[in-house]
Amino acid sequence: MEIMQVMGRLVCTQRVEGLGHMHLRILRNNKGKQLVAVDPVGAREGNWVFTASGSAARFACPEPSTQTDLTIGGIIDFWTPDG
Amino acid sequence: MLICKVVKPLVSTNRIPGFEHRHLQVVLDGSSKKVAVDAVGCKPDDWVICVGSSAAREAAGSKSYPSDLTIVGIIDHWDPDSPVPMPEERK
Repeated sequence: MEIMQVMGRLVCTQRVEGLGHMHLRILRNNKGKQLVAVDPVGAREGNWVFTASGSAARFACPEPSTQTDLTIGGIIDFWTPDG
Repeated sequence: MLICKVVKPLVSTNRIPGFEHRHLQVVLDGSSKKVAVDAVGCKPDDWVICVGSSAAREAAGSKSYPSDLTIVGIIDHWDPDSPVPMPEERK
């Protein structure tokens, strides 16, 4: 799992059926790269979260059939990134 | 499998039910911080081996556990400054 920060939400009306009605979030990883993740938790902008990737991302969804490769697993209580 | 150093436990109260109440640890893989599910019970500064991919899911408890990195062992003796010597080439 990796630690990332929530940058905002993403609205995507036209989507494949496999994504269902899952919320999408824009995340930034430690290298500053922007990624999109499915959010079953309800994270807000500025939250630090940890994410499951690959096939684990599908099992982190309520429906394992969800077609994702990045899912937020939880919100970190206290996190101060150094640098 | 990766050789990582344990930094500290990671506290996440608000998490998806799939992760249950398992301990999470912040680990250092080289210089990048990652989060791993702790299946053995390690302490900060321990050197550990972590598995990824589908082995991480089964090592953490079940085939459907949503982990992509799981700590599966604590290394007894590890000196990061002296890498494992390469076997000498045969002449």
